[in-house]
Amino acid sequence: MMVPELSHNTEIPLTRLEPGQCAVVRRVENESEDADRLKMLGVCVGRRVEVVRAGDPLIIRIFSSRIGISSSLAEGVWLELCSPGRCAMKTPAGS
Amino acid sequence: MLPTLRPPTGEPITLALLGNPNAGKTTLFNALTGLRAKTANFPGTTFEQKIGRAQIGNREAVIIDLPGLYSLESGAPEEKLASDVLHGRLKGRRAPDAALVIVDATNLERNLFLASQVLELDLPVVVALNMMDIAVNDGIHIDINQLRSELGCPVVPISARTGKGLEDLRREITRLAETGQAAAPETVARDKPDCGMGCGGCPFQARYEWTEAISGKVSNAAGARRSQRTEKLDEILTQPVIGMVVFVGVMLSLFTLIFWAAKIPMDLINHLFADIGGGISALLPAGDLRSLLVDGVVGGLGGVLVFLPQICILFFALSLLEDTGYMARAALVTDKMMRRLGLPGKAFVPLLSAHACAIPAIMSARIIENWRDRLITILVTPLMSCSARIPVYAMVTALLFPQSPIKAALLFTGAYATGIVFAMAVALVLRRTILPGGSRPLVIELPPYRLPGWRTALLHTFDRAKIFVQQAGTVILVISLVLWTLSHYPKSAVPERAVTMTVQAAQLEQSGQKSQAVDLREAADRLTAQSALQHSFAGRIGHVIEPVIKPLGFDWQIGIGILSSFAAREAVVSTLSIVYGLGESGEDHPNSLYDTLHHAVRSDGTAVFTTATCASLLVFYILAAQCLSTSAVVRRETNSLKWPIFQIVYMTGLAYVAALVVFQIVSRLVH
Repeated sequence: MMVPELSHNTEIPLTRLEPGQCAVVRRVENESEDADRLKMLGVCVGRRVEVVRAGDPLIIRIFSSRIGISSSLAEGVWLELCSPGRCAMKTPAGS
Repeated sequence: MLPTLRPPTGEPITLALLGNPNAGKTTLFNALTGLRAKTANFPGTTFEQKIGRAQIGNREAVIIDLPGLYSLESGAPEEKLASDVLHGRLKGRRAPDAALVIVDATNLERNLFLASQVLELDLPVVVALNMMDIAVNDGIHIDINQLRSELGCPVVPISARTGKGLEDLRREITRLAETGQAAAPETVARDKPDCGMGCGGCPFQARYEWTEAISGKVSNAAGARRSQRTEKLDEILTQPVIGMVVFVGVMLSLFTLIFWAAKIPMDLINHLFADIGGGISALLPAGDLRSLLVDGVVGGLGGVLVFLPQICILFFALSLLEDTGYMARAALVTDKMMRRLGLPGKAFVPLLSAHACAIPAIMSARIIENWRDRLITILVTPLMSCSARIPVYAMVTALLFPQSPIKAALLFTGAYATGIVFAMAVALVLRRTILPGGSRPLVIELPPYRLPGWRTALLHTFDRAKIFVQQAGTVILVISLVLWTLSHYPKSAVPERAVTMTVQAAQLEQSGQKSQAVDLREAADRLTAQSALQHSFAGRIGHVIEPVIKPLGFDWQIGIGILSSFAAREAVVSTLSIVYGLGESGEDHPNSLYDTLHHAVRSDGTAVFTTATCASLLVFYILAAQCLSTSAVVRRETNSLKWPIFQIVYMTGLAYVAALVVFQIVSRLVH
């Protein structure tokens, strides 16, 4: 299963992702314990994330769980948007 | 070679129970162990361990419930603890014989993360795939055999809530115990999470790629149509404004419940202990032993056990709330606001319930996961005005504003507000000084909404109540006895006047004036009680501290009152009653007590309870740390002596300074 090459889409922080848009995590700044908590829950490179409610704290969906995150932490999570018709990540059924 | 079991023969098999939070671990633990579980702190930590016994097959099993974890390797203290337990590094305890990992079938990708870490240890593992009933409802289908083969260990589908699959689980554990090996699946396709190209960066990444790959292979979850109930409810409950309104409503209901619903059982307990005291009084002759048993033991125990209904109601309600998934939403909605105050969102629960009693409130601070946040909350919680302070507030407001109910009510409210304001201030100061670090930014899982489990709630309540009673039976009893001794020894001679009055009373009886005789005897008794207290250790301590409390406007009699408050705050009212010669029944006639106090004068003729003294007394009682029962609970929750001592010191210091300032200012203003 190949990881798709980094496309030329610009990266946006999680705080600017809109509800309903789906995106894939490309990097998580912040080496702190708090970032580790995020990653433990699945918000790490290569995972698809969707914003359920924007704001502070914001609510995202990752796998089938919902996570509330302070925007101060969310700012450090950089994502690549899926463009219409093409998911920025391998599809769940395989590559 | 699969890992083998190593328990010495004949001994029960030890299982460590692990899993994500919200995966149903507690429900499973309760289902397996029922009442045969006890809770204590892991030695040297503030984490609780639940250890239970279960009959599994024909063998006894000891199950260790580890804290809910998302991972074993990220360095958080609870993970280090779990890792220590699994490796047998915990002092005095060898490694468990096997690990039972509970996995939420509706969230395989994330749950398998922890499972994969456990599988890498040198321990036989059994995976309990929980919430199968919900998975079925959501149209999720999982290929158990394939999952077994992928993981390389037994996988048992269960629903801990309904009990389905538990027999299979027990059978699997029995097989483990008997053959000494985890059952080998037909093919072990276990593909270890490979560091591969993700290794330079994120260790989590590689493992998550692995869990997603496996989940994709064994389940159709990604495409399944799930129930939208949680989403729809969250649209309302996490909306900032509505969410806050709902939260306030829920908290007020909780508070009202604790306060009002507990009244009847509390009265019953008071009556029960009064009856027991009466019974003992009837059986024993008057004297020290009787007083020790009735006032010291029964009075002390009863004064603390009376809080049992509040504790039970609080923990029952909290368990239900947590189970439904609502608590996570509450933490979300209050996070920003509370964080500005230096407190975590969940601190609302202990801070609010402390207005009923600080003891269950401090116990409930456990719902705050972060240790520093929890500690700060525990340290400021007793500043909230608890119900034991009400008699004191009532007394002071009656002394200050005997004719004006409105002013009295305002003063009352002001007292409550003062406690709250100081709590916020102290929290901020603590954050800036000795417990630095802002409240950690919020990262919280919002579990799906569920109907709460009554059995779990009942077991949880029973557990907490048991801990509280054990505490009351030991520490608090000792404190009550010490205070009793201080106020009853050393003995002093009956004052002359009282002797004279008794003689006169006898004469009156003989001449037929019965009621006057009774009055005179009672007066003599009051005088004797007053003198006894003055000459006791408590009285002497009162004299000794008088110079210290003089700048606050207090005299040595008030000093005795303050000392007696350490047993229970409301004791100051009865103590003042005795000290000023109204005897023990003075508090039954509050108006006469207040009247006497109003007119109490010092030897130089000045009134004792001036406006300034009353004001400073009020402020002192709002802030002072006086409930040693609370300190005993703080000791347990912080697993140390230094924090309860620190708390007593800072609160007393705060109370002293505030009362000093108030007294000095008011006495200059009012003359």
